Amino acid sequence: MSFRSQAYAALRICYFNGIMPLWRSPLLIGAVFLTPFSFLFFLYVIAPRALFPFGVVGGVLFTALFTGNGMLNDCAYLRLERQLQQVYVASPVRSLTYILGMALSELAFALPAMVLFLGILLVVHPFGALAFAALVGVVLLTWLMACTLGFFVSTLFQQLREIWPLGTLIFSTLSVLPPIFYPATVIPKQWQWVAYLAPSTYAGQLADGVVGLGGGITTSVAFLNTPLFDLVGLGAITLLLAAAATYFARWRER
Amino acid sequence: MAVLEATGVSKVYHGRRGTVHALDGVDLSIPKGQLFAFLGRNGAGKTTFIKVAATLLLPTSGEVRLFGEDVVAHPEAVRPYIALVPQEGRPFFHMTPREHIYEYLRVRGASGESAKARTEEILEAMGLRPFEQEPAYRLSGGVQQRTLVAMILATEAPFLFLDEPTLGMDPFGRRQVWEVIRRATRKGSTVLLTTHYLDEAEQLAEELAVIEGGKILYRGAPEALKSTVKREVRLQFSGGFTRSELGEYGEVIEDRKRLVLLTTRSRVREITERALERGSEITVGPVTLEEAFLELVGRGIEEEE
Repeated sequence: MSFRSQAYAALRICYFNGIMPLWRSPLLIGAVFLTPFSFLFFLYVIAPRALFPFGVVGGVLFTALFTGNGMLNDCAYLRLERQLQQVYVASPVRSLTYILGMALSELAFALPAMVLFLGILLVVHPFGALAFAALVGVVLLTWLMACTLGFFVSTLFQQLREIWPLGTLIFSTLSVLPPIFYPATVIPKQWQWVAYLAPSTYAGQLADGVVGLGGGITTSVAFLNTPLFDLVGLGAITLLLAAAATYFARWRER
Repeated sequence: MAVLEATGVSKVYHGRRGTVHALDGVDLSIPKGQLFAFLGRNGAGKTTFIKVAATLLLPTSGEVRLFGEDVVAHPEAVRPYIALVPQEGRPFFHMTPREHIYEYLRVRGASGESAKARTEEILEAMGLRPFEQEPAYRLSGGVQQRTLVAMILATEAPFLFLDEPTLGMDPFGRRQVWEVIRRATRKGSTVLLTTHYLDEAEQLAEELAVIEGGKILYRGAPEALKSTVKREVRLQFSGGFTRSELGEYGEVIEDRKRLVLLTTRSRVREITERALERGSEITVGPVTLEEAFLELVGRGIEEEE
């Protein structure tokens, strides 16, 4: 199959695994909205108003990160419970096509929530078109990173019951603990570097930076305080995970 | 010309319960257009072989070539020519049979027109018309399985791997699937089918292999396998006789709590008369693959490891 056919195959997987179930059961959107909106509501009630835009950016990123949890669960379910991944392995569809198709279907689920969060952000903290485009770029990179991580982890297990709690653990840790919903300045300065251990921190820093919220991590090394470092960090982690997902994940069992 | 050639294929698993040889030096060749069946009990190695040949699993050693390509070294070269019905697979819960078939064909690169035509054809052939608009979660297990088989057979791939394709189907559904599988081979596809339904292997296979403990014990035509049983007639009893009483007439097999006697034609009259005197129910018929399998493997095909 040509590159074009593979790209088309990914879109078709997105159609029947993402758009089709969403169209038939719109309530599924509610499940994606619920957790980030609960966090946002909580922040709205207890935190100073100045921090609310951080919470809204956090909502967008949380939604993007949780596509990884959906990816993990869906891929594991289709492989272990339905045996459907095998049907795609024994076909001209390449592993990267399957991963992209599944990731796009997770994006379809997340898109309504993301659009709503972006809308709220534009109301509470207006910013320009360029910043908007940059923020969309950050969100897409975060989605890619989360989905490749989700797929990679899904292939390491043989039991669904092992995977379910693991997904929640990984993606809750990545989206709640690091400075996603709050500015990094809340963390004591000598411990701010620890946040860089979480890949989602780079996304949070970048997103807050591009919309002009500030509140980023400051270290004694000047380069580490620039958006370029965050972009390189997020890009490198995404590429690394994509490589691991494609080459080391069990597309073919050993 | 053989399209599948396997040489010395082994798969070894090292686990807590020691080393398991799921496949142990399997040699096999399947010519183009043949319908080949793998017969064996659960855990005998049938699915493991299919997984290796269909590029799903790496073997520990040995080589499998499909259409001349090494499935281990060049899986991408093989995959466009194969399609697989996995064992105990289930369709997407929200999609209808029609959507499953059409979407799978489109994902594999078929044009919209071709996918539509093939979808219509297979829906008709597999008796899926009454269910074509029903989402899979509303379908019975048998119809879900038929959907999955239809999805794969519609590809018209040159090599079809069918791992227990009729599992859970009613007799009518099984016969419909058999007919579509036969049609696929008439169109030129080669089929490797695994089953533990002996009647299925007898009805479909031009050639079969019996696998047990990862080793091939027999390979040949189903008729030739049956002829390895030295007796001609099979009598099945429900009560009235003990094993030792029947032993004087021939070979006695206890299969699923029934006594089965394999004997020669000349002794049938005498035994049936005795059975009638005792009021025992008796079924008389020719020797089947079931007896041949029992004699070859030493256990019934339904017996678990």
